[in-house]
Amino acid sequence: MLKRKVKQMLLLKAGARIIGQGITGFQGSTELPWMLDYGTQIVAGVTPKKGGQELNGLPIFNTVKEAVEMVGPIDGSVIYVPPLYAKAAALEALEAGLKWVLILPEKVPAKDGAEIYALAQKYQASIIGPSSVGIICPEKKIKIGSIGGSQPERSFVAGQVAVVSKSGGMTQETSLHLKSHGLGVSWAVGIGGDRIIGTDFVDFLLELEDDPITKASVIFGELGGTYEERVAEYVKSGKIKKPIVAFIGGEFTLKLPSEVQFGHAGAIIEGERGKPDYKRLVLRDAGVLVAEEFDDISDLVKEVI
Amino acid sequence: MILYEFEGKQLLSQAGLAVPKSQLLTDPDQSLNLTSPFVLKAQVLSGKRAEAGGIVKITNNLDQRSLRETSNKQIQNLFEKTINGEKVNQVLVEELIEFEKEYYISISYDTDTRSPVINLSSQGGTGIEDRGVKTFTVDLLNLDKSLSEVKTDIPLEVLKKLVNLFLDQDCILLEVNPLVKTSDNNFMALDAKVKLDEGALGRHPEWKYPPRSVPGHNPTDHEIAAKKIDEGDYRGTAGSTYFDLDGDIAVLTSGGGGSLTALDALIKVGGHPADYTEYSGNPPKEKVEKLTKIVLSKPGINGLWVVGAIANLTDIYETLSGFMEGLRNAQTELKTKFDFPIVIRRAGPRDDEAFKMLKEVKDFDLHLYGTEISITESAKIMADLAQKYAQKKGQTDVAA
Repeated sequence: MLKRKVKQMLLLKAGARIIGQGITGFQGSTELPWMLDYGTQIVAGVTPKKGGQELNGLPIFNTVKEAVEMVGPIDGSVIYVPPLYAKAAALEALEAGLKWVLILPEKVPAKDGAEIYALAQKYQASIIGPSSVGIICPEKKIKIGSIGGSQPERSFVAGQVAVVSKSGGMTQETSLHLKSHGLGVSWAVGIGGDRIIGTDFVDFLLELEDDPITKASVIFGELGGTYEERVAEYVKSGKIKKPIVAFIGGEFTLKLPSEVQFGHAGAIIEGERGKPDYKRLVLRDAGVLVAEEFDDISDLVKEVI
Repeated sequence: MILYEFEGKQLLSQAGLAVPKSQLLTDPDQSLNLTSPFVLKAQVLSGKRAEAGGIVKITNNLDQRSLRETSNKQIQNLFEKTINGEKVNQVLVEELIEFEKEYYISISYDTDTRSPVINLSSQGGTGIEDRGVKTFTVDLLNLDKSLSEVKTDIPLEVLKKLVNLFLDQDCILLEVNPLVKTSDNNFMALDAKVKLDEGALGRHPEWKYPPRSVPGHNPTDHEIAAKKIDEGDYRGTAGSTYFDLDGDIAVLTSGGGGSLTALDALIKVGGHPADYTEYSGNPPKEKVEKLTKIVLSKPGINGLWVVGAIANLTDIYETLSGFMEGLRNAQTELKTKFDFPIVIRRAGPRDDEAFKMLKEVKDFDLHLYGTEISITESAKIMADLAQKYAQKKGQTDVAA
């Protein structure tokens, strides 16, 4: 008999217990207090050969398996290891039974990205990233990763609009724009601008359909790939019903040679694929509100909530 | 990074795939050690090379002397050519291969299936876009099984070698067009287009390819210099992508998404960017200093725009300190006085300290903004100030 696949939720519950792989490194140890201060339940760290140490009162273990055995139920892991080790770290988390993994490092090779995605399917787990800036939910006091740095309240206030963005900086800029216009965020997440990502716009938007806090979403897309086009398909076929406002960056790149990578690894036009004007066209055609100017986003959101 | 045909063929050959015997000419006067018939192939990164006259066949129907004269003349011709905007600096001479059948095969990553895919056609050659191409998904967790399900008369062994090369060498594209079946039933790669994943550089110490740009584009000195900033230093990134544009506003942006948003906004309000580049991921100030100097080292600048989204992690004090050093050093090195308007719109970690430092600066025309204005609003301010400056200078608008 065919087993029905039940995938782990991307949207964590309040009080979700998270571990940090590689959190003893420079970036991890810088960001750990910021996450703890926000109220995130970071319950353990994992760094090979550093088992037995403590960081900000956090017990450190050599392996994820050990952490799971010692600190009790764990809802997910945030990965701080260098890019070439990200795949091994993700696999370790999945093998230890974790179903939610967020990968922060940039410059993870496309091959590893594709393998990580395949592993997420196999283990029926949710993986956000690579190159994710993190995820934040002000209402549930969850902040995982770099998102918002040490001052998340500057840009992220609780509200009803989800922000899903390929760009880390623009995740925060978009949330700040909403805040400046009297709106707040339900969830804000950086899905990463890599060629192959574990969670794309559609994966996230599908879960937001059932999220009681979210009334509408803003997506920040850019040239390259087909993740924006997939949003258009899902909206058109009625699988995504909540209103979406989209901004697509990179119009000017059409005047430059193709095959150029603009910042993010996935931000590249190859042949006819990945053109920002086409993305805008299919999104608009599907009924998504496409902001011509970034500053128009909040007005469009107010039209639909 | 995209490879030249001869570099791609070296990889194919190392992976145990057959390629024609060849000789690489880096100089038109180099003596040939291949006997005719052969084919001369200009080494450029852009496709549609044959249509542009970049491939010349030298057949046997000539006596020895005219053969030598013809090939010398053709080689000279090729070296003098510019193909789709690229100067020809190398010519590959290859034995001419007779074949029975040709195929098109490419392996790449697909964002729909989020896996590698094989695109196959039982017809190779130019104009492949118009022919029947079938797509097969590669399952990375069940490689052998997924390859055995590919419907083709290309032998499984050849297919496996190609896919393994694609994976082992961290390619993001491996295209062989055509792959041919010779009369003695061998499969041979007559062309190769390979793109390597620069994210995988750290596990390929053997990748020692000289710097290059993209197909159809000769890199400018600025582009080459900017690309060097990140070499051997993995702390953040600065200048990895740099393009000279023909406007009069030097632009220094931060963040992949922020840089795209900023440039689109500037062009929409009528500004003319002089470059596209970005730094991100909290680079050390030395990197920002170097990039600032490159951005400023061109004539006819009427304004400088330092812009980015509110940063999550990038240290604004550190990076803007690097910017100020670059600004001062560029002025000294170029023996000039930068009196054009400089609009800064930055926010994020340590921005208080950064702006305190910048407010003390009196020898430049700085216009400082944080999150009180948007990226778009700062674009408008920049475009207006640059235009006023240009008018004052009595200079005609570059884009007029």
